Amino acid sequence: MSFPVLSSLIALPIVGALLLLVVRDGDRHEEVIRRIALVVSGLVFAETLLLWAEFDAASAEFQFVERYAWIPSFGISYAVGVDGISLFLIALTGVLTPLALLSSWESVHTRTRAFCMFVLLLESAMIGVFVSLDLFLFYVFWDAMLIPMYFLIGIWGYERRVYAAIKFMLYTMAGSVLMLLAIVGLAWLHYGATGRYSFDVLEMYALTVPTNLQFWFFLAFALAFAIKVPLVPFHTWLPDAHVEAPTAGSVILAGVLLKMGTYGLVRFAFPLFPMAATFFAPYLATLAVVGIIYGALVAMVQPDLKKLVAYSSVSHLGFVVLGIAAMNTQGLQGAVYQMLNHGVSTGGLFLIVGMLSDRRHTRAIADFGGLKAVTPRLVAVFLIVTLSSIGLPGLNGFVGEFLILLGAFTWDPRFAVCAATGVILSAVYMLWMFQRVNYGPVTDEKTAALADLQPREWAVLVPIVVLVVLMGVAPNLFLRPIEPSVQRIVDRLQEAAPAAIQARDHVFIP
Amino acid sequence: MACVAAAGVAAMVAEALRAPGERMPIGPLGAIGLAGAAAASLGLWNHNATSFSLVVADNFGLFITLVLVVVGILSLALSAPGIERLGLPRGEYYALMLFALAGMMLMATATDLLLIFLALEVLSLAVYVLTGIRRDSPAAVEGALKYFILGAFSSAFFLYGIAFTYGLTGTTRLDRIGTLMAGQAMSPAPLQLVAVGLLLVGFAFKVSAIPFHMWTPDAYEGAPTAVTAFMSTGVKAAAFAAFARVFLSTFEPLHPYWRPLVWTIALATMVGGAVVGIAQTNVKRMLAYSSIAHAGYLLVALVSANDLGKGAMLFYLLTYAVTNLGAFGVIALLETAERPFDQMSDYAGLWTARPALAALMTMFLLSLGGFPPFGGFVAKWYVFSAAVKAGETTLAIVGVLTSVVAVFFYLRVVVMMYMTPAGRSSDAPAVPAIAGAALVASALAVLYLGLLPARVLDWAAASISTIF
Repeated sequence: MSFPVLSSLIALPIVGALLLLVVRDGDRHEEVIRRIALVVSGLVFAETLLLWAEFDAASAEFQFVERYAWIPSFGISYAVGVDGISLFLIALTGVLTPLALLSSWESVHTRTRAFCMFVLLLESAMIGVFVSLDLFLFYVFWDAMLIPMYFLIGIWGYERRVYAAIKFMLYTMAGSVLMLLAIVGLAWLHYGATGRYSFDVLEMYALTVPTNLQFWFFLAFALAFAIKVPLVPFHTWLPDAHVEAPTAGSVILAGVLLKMGTYGLVRFAFPLFPMAATFFAPYLATLAVVGIIYGALVAMVQPDLKKLVAYSSVSHLGFVVLGIAAMNTQGLQGAVYQMLNHGVSTGGLFLIVGMLSDRRHTRAIADFGGLKAVTPRLVAVFLIVTLSSIGLPGLNGFVGEFLILLGAFTWDPRFAVCAATGVILSAVYMLWMFQRVNYGPVTDEKTAALADLQPREWAVLVPIVVLVVLMGVAPNLFLRPIEPSVQRIVDRLQEAAPAAIQARDHVFIP
Repeated sequence: MACVAAAGVAAMVAEALRAPGERMPIGPLGAIGLAGAAAASLGLWNHNATSFSLVVADNFGLFITLVLVVVGILSLALSAPGIERLGLPRGEYYALMLFALAGMMLMATATDLLLIFLALEVLSLAVYVLTGIRRDSPAAVEGALKYFILGAFSSAFFLYGIAFTYGLTGTTRLDRIGTLMAGQAMSPAPLQLVAVGLLLVGFAFKVSAIPFHMWTPDAYEGAPTAVTAFMSTGVKAAAFAAFARVFLSTFEPLHPYWRPLVWTIALATMVGGAVVGIAQTNVKRMLAYSSIAHAGYLLVALVSANDLGKGAMLFYLLTYAVTNLGAFGVIALLETAERPFDQMSDYAGLWTARPALAALMTMFLLSLGGFPPFGGFVAKWYVFSAAVKAGETTLAIVGVLTSVVAVFFYLRVVVMMYMTPAGRSSDAPAVPAIAGAALVASALAVLYLGLLPARVLDWAAASISTIF
C-alpha cells in the first residue's frame, strides 16, 4: 500500500480547519487566517494535480483504492477510490475552493476564522462524497456536507439568508433520508443473497436486485439526486440558496455541490438499478428537457444577476441529466464533461458577479450599463466566461453540449431537438444580460467610479480563463481518462436493457 | 456463582444508596458510588448472575446500568452550578438523584413484575420531588403536580396489569410468565391481552409516548434544567430497559397481538413529537417534544423486535443519553435564578457571547437531528435498519421524514445562536470547570459514537444476545 492519497485529500482540509482553531480569532489575525486557509486549499489542489498525473487513463477500474473496516459487524468499511468520472470532479473541487477563498478576501470581514473553517470542512466533505466507494460512507459525507454549507449561507449570506439556508438544508435532507432507507434495503438484500453484510458499491454492482425493488430503490435514489441537481420541479431551493449565499458559497454550490446530484445518478442510481434506470430514463429526460427550457426562459426575465446565473444552472444541469439519461457513451461522456464545464463557467460567472456586487453593492442588471468603458479588463474576462457558458465552439461549453446532444440524438431525436432550443435560448439570455450590463452609456455615476481588476482578482480569474480555453481546445486531455469508466457503466446499462424493455411491458406500476 | 452475583448486585445498588446515608451529601460522594456501580457492572459482565431470582445481572441490564452511570455522573456534574444559582437544598437534591438512580438500575435488572413496579415507584417518587424542588416557582409546582398525578394514575394501570397477570398465571416472575404465555400463544385469554395493554400504558407513560405524554413538556419546563436533563435521559433509559425486558422476552409470544398497538403509538409519537415541536418557542419545551419524538424512534426499535432492534435500542439509549444531557446541560449552565434561559430569543447571538457553549450546543442539536458525523446519525441509522429488516417499512419512512421535520426546530436554535444579532445573552454566568468538563466529555462521546461506533455497536449487540 503506497501513500494514502485520497485519505490525505480528505484529511488535509480538516487538519487545516483544526489548525485555524488554534489561531486566535480577531481582526489582527485575519490575514494569517486567510493565508493558512489558502495555503491548505492550495496544497489540496496540488495534490489533486498529482492524482491526475498518477492516474492511469487507460483503466476503467477504481484506482488509489483504500479499504479499512469501519463498522465490521455490518460490513461497513471506509472504502475510497477514484475512477475517470470522479477524478476531475475532485480536481474541480480542488480548483474552486482556493478561488472561492480568494474571492472572499475583501468581502468577508466578520468571523473570518469560522468562515475559512467552514469552507475547508466543506471541501473535505465534498471530496469525500466523490471518492466514497461505500454507500454508508457516501451517505455520511453527503449529509455532513450540508452542515458547513448551511452555516456559510446562513451567516455570511445576504438579506434572506436564514430562510435560504434552512430551505436548502430541509430540501436536501428530505430527499436524502429516503435514499438512506434504500441503502439499508439494498444492504439487507445483499445480506439475503450472500449471507454477508456489505455496503460496498462494487459488491452492490454485482447484485441482481428484483425488478419491483429496483423501481422503489431507484426512485428513492433518484429523488435525492434530483433535488440536489436540481431537476425541475425540485429546483425551488436553488435560486434562494444561490442568491442569498456569499460569493464563495455560490461558487462552491454551483461549481461542486450541484454536481453531486448528477454524480450520484452516474455512480449509484443508474448502474445499481439498470432496469429501473432504463424504465425511468425517458421520464428523467423529459424533466431534464423541461428544465433546460424552463430554466432558460426564467433566466431570461431575471432582473437580478445572481438569480439569472442560478436559473442558467438549472438549464445547464438539465443538459447533464439528459446526457446521463441517454445511457450511451457520447451522452454520458458529455454529461461528465459538462459537469466540469458548468463548474468552471458558472463558478466563473458567480465570481464575476460577486466582484461586481462587491464594487457596486447591487446585483440588479438595471443598475449597471456601460461597464465596458469603465472596467475594460473585467469585461473582457466576463465576455470569455459568458461565451463559454453559452457553448461557443473553441471554448469548453461547446464540447460537452455537443456530445450530450449527439448522445441524445442517437437515443431519441425528439429530446435532442427540444434540448437544442435550450442552446439557442442560453445564447439569448446570456448575451442580452451581457449587453445590458456592459454596453450602452454609463447610466449611473456610481458605476462610472468602479475600479478595474485588482491583482488578487486576476489571480482568481486567470485560472478560470485558462481552464475555459484549455478544456475547449484540448478536450481529449480530459475525455481520455473519463472514457473507460463511462464505457464500463454504459456496458452495464446495456446489458440490462433487454430485460428492462421486457419489464416495461410487464410491469406498468412498480 | 449466585453468591458472587448477589454481592455484586447488592453492592451496586447499595453503593449508589450509601451516599445519601452518609449525611455528607455532596456530589463527589455520589460520583464515587456511581463509579462503584460501574466497576461492579463491569465485573459482572458476562457472568449472567442472578440473586433471589428477582434481580438478574445479565449483560442487557448491565449495559443499561452503565448508561445510567454515565447519566448519573454527567447529571451530578451539571447540577452543581444550578444548585448554587437557584438556591436548591443541596443534600436533598443529591440524595433524591441517587435514589432515583438506584431505582432506575433496579428497574433495568429486575426480573419480577412486582420488583419492577417497586423500582418504578422508587425512581418516580424521587423524580416527582426533584421536579418540584423549586418550591417558589409556579412552573415547577405545576409541572411536578401534573407529573405526580398522571404518574400515580399510570402506576395504577401498571399495578392493575400486574394483578391481572398474576391472576392468570399465578406468578409475577417474568420467566415463568413467559413460559406460560408461550404455551398458549395461539389463543391467549382475553384477560391476558387486557393485562398486556395495561402494562403497556404504564410503560408508555414513563417513556412519554403519545398519547401518554401530556406531563412531559410541563415537567421538563418546570424542573431545574439539570433535573430535566437527568429525567429525560435516565427515566427513559430505565423505563425502556424494563419495557424491552417485559415485552420482548416475557410477552414475546404475544408479539402479533401487541404489535399493532405499539406500532400505532410509535407512529403517533414520532409524528406528534416532531410536529408539535415546531410550534414551541421555549427551548426546554422544544427539547421535551424532541425527546417525545426520540421515544417514538425507540419504540420503532421495540416494534421491530428483532436482534437488530434490540441492539439498536441500547445503542440509541446511550447516544440519546449523552446527547440530550449535553443539550440540557448547556441550558443548565446558562440558567440563573432570574432568568431560566429557556426562550428561543435568549439564544440570539450566543455565538458572539459564548462561542464554545454555542458550538457544543450546535453539536448536540445536530446529533439529535441525526446528522453525521455525530452519534445521533448512527443511532437513527441502526434503528431504521432494524425496522427495514423487520419489514416495518412504513414506520421507517415516517421515521426518517419526521426526523427531517425535527431538524427544522433544532435548526431554529442554531439560527438564533449564529444568525441573529446578539440579544441579552452576554450576561450569562461563568461556566464551572467540572460542568464544562462534563459537557466536553459528552461532546467527545457524541463524536466518538458517530465516528467510531463499531466497538459500542458490537457491545450493544452482545448484551442483547445473552438474554433474549
